Amino acid sequence: MDQLIQDKLSKEEIFETLHQFITEVIGEEFVEEMDITPASSFTKDLEMDSIEIVAFSEKVKNHFGSNIDFTGWLSNMDLDEIIQLKLENIINYIQECQ
Amino acid sequence: MPVINLPNVRLHVQELNPEGEETLIMVHGMFSNLAVYYFNIAPLLAKHFRVVLFDMKGHGMSEKVQTGYDLTSMTSDLRDLMDVLGIEKAHLAGYSYGGLVALKMAARFPERVGKLAIIEGPDPSEQETLTIIDTYSKEFLIHYIENFADTTRLLAGKRQLEKNHRMYEFLFNETSIRSDMEGEKGFFNDRAVAAIQHETLLIYGEASNCVPSGRTLASKIKNATLVLVSGDHNVPVQQPEVIGRELEKFLEPSPLPVG
Repeated sequence: MDQLIQDKLSKEEIFETLHQFITEVIGEEFVEEMDITPASSFTKDLEMDSIEIVAFSEKVKNHFGSNIDFTGWLSNMDLDEIIQLKLENIINYIQECQ
Repeated sequence: MPVINLPNVRLHVQELNPEGEETLIMVHGMFSNLAVYYFNIAPLLAKHFRVVLFDMKGHGMSEKVQTGYDLTSMTSDLRDLMDVLGIEKAHLAGYSYGGLVALKMAARFPERVGKLAIIEGPDPSEQETLTIIDTYSKEFLIHYIENFADTTRLLAGKRQLEKNHRMYEFLFNETSIRSDMEGEKGFFNDRAVAAIQHETLLIYGEASNCVPSGRTLASKIKNATLVLVSGDHNVPVQQPEVIGRELEKFLEPSPLPVG
């Protein structure tokens, strides 16, 4: 039987997955106090430090597979760009890679 | 999360380019973690090498342990890590206290070390870290994070401040880190340091108060070259691409002559 395979995740689905990863990395008690949206920035809004971003990157890599060179993508940014980085930038990047 | 069980401790490890022929292991400094290399310096070097990064015990996402922060224990951990990962020999790069770990490694296990790169390794007999430990307070911590920590340019919010505070509280009050570091005061005068034969690169920030330490090492280690780059003790955070390129230049084997 033929089945339609939805091969691309929607932005909302990616956001939900990333939201879950953020919760795992920084802990539910902190996430509850935050309003996480695609416009949230990693360092300013979510207050993630570099080792938490490492943990987050690992989860992204393990979940979305090796097609997505998330560390490579980040390594092309300078620190100011990483500071500015918003959740929606990552959602867009993952969508482009699919 | 790749956490590896060693005989004495569980360490958080990250590998880049695991297929690389030669291996480079990078050691971070005290009160820091592997993220100091992960985003810029390590990816650059992973173009040529298998790059292994790990969080020291009590740091980052590695196990919090109460003892064993001296250089002998730290290098035993590193040797165990190499054994578990099946690495016979590796180039080593270490920053700050991690630089001392790399030096100790070359002194204790010379056959397991290729080239040696020391970034801002402080002379433990005059380093300010010990003073820092003694004057520790939360107020001081805020100042320290703003001025010296690897997180320098990532503004510390309340949660981060609390997190750092907990790390310092743990390391200062619940572990042997103070006495272990005190015990290393004579390290630069250790004969084993002067006996290091490895090709050694010493990278220091020209505005760093560790420059005299670099000069001392350059005078003691036979095959050492001292390079001063612009920046201070935080140079890997201030200029990751400069540090990455210096390491690349030093570690990369010269191309075979054509013809």
